[in-house]
Amino acid sequence: MSVPILKQGDILIASIQAALTDRDLDQLRDELAARVGRFRSRGVIVDVTALDVLDSFATRTIRSIAYTAKLRGADTVVVGIQPEVAFAMVQLGLTLEGVKTALDLEEGLELLRPAAKKDIRLGT
Amino acid sequence: MAEARRGGSEQAFSNEMAITEQEVVRRKEFLEFHHDDAEALSKLNEVAQKYADPVIDDLYRHFLSFDETRAFFRDPKVLERVKRLQKEYFLRLTQGDYGSDYVKNRLRIGTVHEHINLAPKWYLGAYNFYLRAVALRLFDSMSSDPRKAFSTFLSLMKLVFMDIGLAVDTYIYARESTMRKQQEAIQELSTPVLQIRDRLLLLPIIGVIDSQRARLVTEGLLRAIRANRAKVVVMDITGVATIDSKVANHLLQTVTAARLMGAMVIVTGLSSEVAQSLVELGIDLTRLNTVGDLQGGIEEGERLLGYRLVHEGDAGAAARPV
Repeated sequence: MSVPILKQGDILIASIQAALTDRDLDQLRDELAARVGRFRSRGVIVDVTALDVLDSFATRTIRSIAYTAKLRGADTVVVGIQPEVAFAMVQLGLTLEGVKTALDLEEGLELLRPAAKKDIRLGT
Repeated sequence: MAEARRGGSEQAFSNEMAITEQEVVRRKEFLEFHHDDAEALSKLNEVAQKYADPVIDDLYRHFLSFDETRAFFRDPKVLERVKRLQKEYFLRLTQGDYGSDYVKNRLRIGTVHEHINLAPKWYLGAYNFYLRAVALRLFDSMSSDPRKAFSTFLSLMKLVFMDIGLAVDTYIYARESTMRKQQEAIQELSTPVLQIRDRLLLLPIIGVIDSQRARLVTEGLLRAIRANRAKVVVMDITGVATIDSKVANHLLQTVTAARLMGAMVIVTGLSSEVAQSLVELGIDLTRLNTVGDLQGGIEEGERLLGYRLVHEGDAGAAARPV
């Protein structure tokens, strides 16, 4: 199942709706990297609200999405990690180090707003 | 109805205490209480019937001569009733069939005594009194065969020690379940998450943090972050006296989990001892945002959220056009 990628101004939004296979995740990464360049996007939001588990491969892929996008000039925010998922992740030592996070899509958009007077530490 | 209910709770009681048929068998084996002991005691039943009343009268005379035990029998009606129950108890010792029903009966008696706060010392003292009172009468009634009298007495002693074991278990069990309940209560009370500003939460941690509590704290915090849409959390650990590497890791996990949900955690109130021990333990706390005290933490949180606190006295001055 491929993930739909929506373009909202200079932000790309990838909303993951169901558990993805490793191949789907790789595909998502490649697709996002390509579109960031094509649309000259400034930000990427990966929405994982619908997921009830994030394993080590998914976490690693999301991190590589963030790093790749950063190299192409876009900030990435992961939004919608559920409490249970967050708890399970820290138990497994998956911390998404260096990736911005936000509570939900709205917060993620807020975080990427150019005019937002954001503290460098918030969301990182 | 009441009887049935009581029966039900006993069942649960001995199950909770893990006293199974198997357990009863093991206890008897350890006491070397065998079939011939049961038989010898059954033969004693006739003598027991005869001596039950005088023995019990002696026992209660003994009880009533001590202030500590007299207090339990102020009401003559109560005294009458417990004497009757005591007689049942006494006769039950020589009625054979020392299986699970017997054990349940003994556990119930122990529980009743625990409930009325009769300290184990008096309870055990009464067993001693019983053994002595019975021994004298037993040897009197079997004066022709002292060997047999002695072996019967030993059988009785085995059974009485099993009773004592069960009684002590009920006392310990009652104390333990009280402690367990209190512990649960403490845990529930000890992890409040408070909203002090829109999107700013306060998490005061007091006392000892172990793995289980750390888990509860983290889960509670994550739920509160979602419910309050919090962006900043001030975690105050002024009330945490000591921190070891395990606790530090728990705190780091809590901070990381909050971050995954998009909330930043500011840790405040590290005492100098705690700070020093963390440095000595070599725990990497560079990922922690720390501010000296709670006030500073709240101010920092407000600043991050874009609040500006203005003292009313200064408000006029600030508003004056320059």
